[in-house]
Amino acid sequence: METFKGLANYQYILSNDTFRLAIFNTFFITFFQLLIAIPLGFLIALAINSIEKGKNFLKALFFIPYITPAIAAGALFLFVLHPNGILNAFLSLFGVGSVSWLENGVTARFGAVILSVWRSMGFNVIIFLAYLQTISQEHYEAAYVDGCDRWHAHLYITLPQMRSAFAVLIIMGWINGMQRFTEVYALGGLTGSPARSLHTIVGFIYERGFGNYEFGVASASACVLFVIILAFTLLNLKITGGKD
Amino acid sequence: MKRLQGKEAAAAGYKKRTQISNAIIFCCLALVGLLFILPFVWMTVVSFERYANVQPPFPPSFIVKNPSWFNFKIITENGALLKAYRNSLVIAVFSVAVNMVAVMLGGYALAKGRFRGKNLIFTIILCTMMIPFETRMIPMFKMFANLGLTNNFLPLILPNIIDGFGLMLARNFFSKLPDSLGEAARIDGAGPLRVFAQVYLPLSTPIMATIAILKFMDSWNSFLWPLVILTGTETRTVPIFISAFSYEGGTRAAGSTMCVAFMGIIPVLIVFLLLQKYIIQSIALSGVKGE
Repeated sequence: METFKGLANYQYILSNDTFRLAIFNTFFITFFQLLIAIPLGFLIALAINSIEKGKNFLKALFFIPYITPAIAAGALFLFVLHPNGILNAFLSLFGVGSVSWLENGVTARFGAVILSVWRSMGFNVIIFLAYLQTISQEHYEAAYVDGCDRWHAHLYITLPQMRSAFAVLIIMGWINGMQRFTEVYALGGLTGSPARSLHTIVGFIYERGFGNYEFGVASASACVLFVIILAFTLLNLKITGGKD
Repeated sequence: MKRLQGKEAAAAGYKKRTQISNAIIFCCLALVGLLFILPFVWMTVVSFERYANVQPPFPPSFIVKNPSWFNFKIITENGALLKAYRNSLVIAVFSVAVNMVAVMLGGYALAKGRFRGKNLIFTIILCTMMIPFETRMIPMFKMFANLGLTNNFLPLILPNIIDGFGLMLARNFFSKLPDSLGEAARIDGAGPLRVFAQVYLPLSTPIMATIAILKFMDSWNSFLWPLVILTGTETRTVPIFISAFSYEGGTRAAGSTMCVAFMGIIPVLIVFLLLQKYIIQSIALSGVKGE
């Protein structure tokens, strides 16, 4: 039977180290994911946009990881990140020694970052391409007539016009990143092992709610998640609201 | 005359230079793209490899040394995977169906209907999009549990009736179609449902395809909600099967885990290759409009 507990559940989770760690992990993984995936996605989109033949082929190449089910991608990365896996084989080409990605907290988080960069790249590329196609060619022609080179044209024409694309991807990336669960659940299981380094906010909600049946604690953390996401959504409306 | 030739040569030179630089860019991109595809190639190799049961073969190889169906036999042993495919397909098809009916009718009403409070209702619908699923998950679970519907497909299908994003897509699409079409049909004596079904609906196949693609992928890939609702082994969907398989027995074997991931990815990949253009368009639209 439920009894009214006031703010006790909120006091509990906000002073709970596991929940704080879950918030930290969620922000950490998303921060590095966006730091890598957005600039890289922009460069790839820019390159795809500049060529004439084979655009669709290249788009598809980057897009396939995005449409794979997150849980299957996670299962695949259990072994991509394995000490004998292909990530280490790739890194050894550059002289990096063998890393046991999923056995240590810091490398496990970066393993999750690599997985999410790999999965989200296709989406970033497609969105950047959609925005790139809205830029009028006349700007570039005028710049080239005035003797501008490709590099400066991108710096002074493309980048300023892509501001809203960056804003959309960064904020949508944060909102989706706050809801991260499936990928890290595939890699780290219910408690986000090793050492809860892959335990996210949603992982905490799931573990407390459906593992321990502490629905009060789980609901309180769901409300905290809602407040965080609401803040990003309002920021999003403030940035893009005027134009649409 | 001479100057013209010089100009032509310069133009030809410029064209050649851009061709070369395009070729270089293409090769670099193809190389990076190949790195993105490599995990899938490796997954396929490991899943067909007979001697890759516990550890992946070392050093990693991209050629199957001992081809066998061994891993496939393990994962399809008791028919559970086939059942999971069937469950996923049933859930996805019905989710798309109920979603489509609700969203097309609702979007049409919000675009072409004339009633008080229309904009207020639309704003409220847009506001529901701000609430993440994870926040609603616990009350939704309690509600369906009180109705005795855990381990049932209904909790996975019915919530698709309420879909703010789909309504927004449909409403925006109908808003762009001219009102005069409906008026003309009305003058000729068509009732409101007939105007919708015979005038506007045939024009809206592009948005219907987009909504169907997005909803189908959403349902097919969804994990957390089925994980909460479907606790029995009989009702597992493909993602739940993959998750349960890679943890059953405590140890994860490389061969069978890769194989199960392969079986989860291949159907999606085939559908993607067939409908590539439409899927990419739909997702670009969802990103650009989803801001």
